[in-house]
Amino acid sequence: MSGRAIVITSGKGGVGKTTATANLGVGLAKHGRKVVMVDGDIGLRNLDIIMGLENRIVYHLVDVVRGRCQVRQALVKDKRFPNLCLLPASQVDQKEAITPEQMRDLTAQLREEFDFVLIDCPAGIEQGFRNAVAGADEAIVITTPDVSPVRDADRVIGLLQSSLGDPQLIINRLSTDMVRRGDMLNQQDVLDILAVRLLGIVPEDEEVVIAGNRGSPVILNARSRSGQAYERIVRRILGEEVAIPEFNGSGSLINRLGRLFLRR
Amino acid sequence: MSWGTLVQRLFRGKGSKEEARNRLQMVLVLDRLGLSSEQMEALRKDILETISRHIPIDSERVKIDFVHQHTPAEVVINAPVRRVRPTVEAPKHSAG
Repeated sequence: MSGRAIVITSGKGGVGKTTATANLGVGLAKHGRKVVMVDGDIGLRNLDIIMGLENRIVYHLVDVVRGRCQVRQALVKDKRFPNLCLLPASQVDQKEAITPEQMRDLTAQLREEFDFVLIDCPAGIEQGFRNAVAGADEAIVITTPDVSPVRDADRVIGLLQSSLGDPQLIINRLSTDMVRRGDMLNQQDVLDILAVRLLGIVPEDEEVVIAGNRGSPVILNARSRSGQAYERIVRRILGEEVAIPEFNGSGSLINRLGRLFLRR
Repeated sequence: MSWGTLVQRLFRGKGSKEEARNRLQMVLVLDRLGLSSEQMEALRKDILETISRHIPIDSERVKIDFVHQHTPAEVVINAPVRRVRPTVEAPKHSAG
């Protein structure tokens, strides 16, 4: 068996890589897949706290690579899904503590056992990025509809195309209100500029902050807009055809009111 | 929308998105080509010189844009032709 190794990357920091990794991990596990999430951000680990698993870490990625423990010993089992694991990053080492070759070997080992290996990439395009990308065979680029993340996403897409081919794009934190006012790039604008395939759009949602506070990814909150968006993305990754709803804020107030009534 | 934004909007017209889009498209072409803004300026000067050797153009209003409607992107040069009074007298209409 050989699972899919997907790196989640962005170039720019703070656009939601870790949040996306956590939600995709939980979502794929909810659909019964065996999933391991690898925190590639050595020195600045965060996937553990977003997942609510920060108190269970014994060994980490660098321990595994250095042979200080077995992979099995470093994997932290999720408390909600027995088929979901986290391989935490080290908090004390530097990005240079491991090499792309070591990362490639580790990923190869993990995909023997898991259906999905999700690699949370650190910000930037230096060694940490090269490590995270080394073992992957697919990439998801995440951006928000702001000028600097889009610019950095373009750079990262260029770098990925030479090794992994075309990545897929997630547009995160899109504000329907601002799009409606013409004060935010919409889905089409971002796609025109970046020219890659769209995997999904996650609307701006306060629930993401609350989910982070609780260590319980927002996809577990089936009533949240962002949770529903992640659920659709997960199903697309699994090969289902799921339409991407328009977050263009299209329609006047009357239209929107109409929709509100029609919903029942 | 706050009052501040509303007032701004009344004076500014459409939203800031178009600005974001245009600035991004411009900067990304330079990023992708690895061109600096000095090189871009040099290109502008070269184009301007070449065209004005043949056609009188309004050098202040020459614009170079990158258009992304198609892949690969296109360079669009906008050079308004200066209206010139003909110096040579127009041939007189021969009566009959």
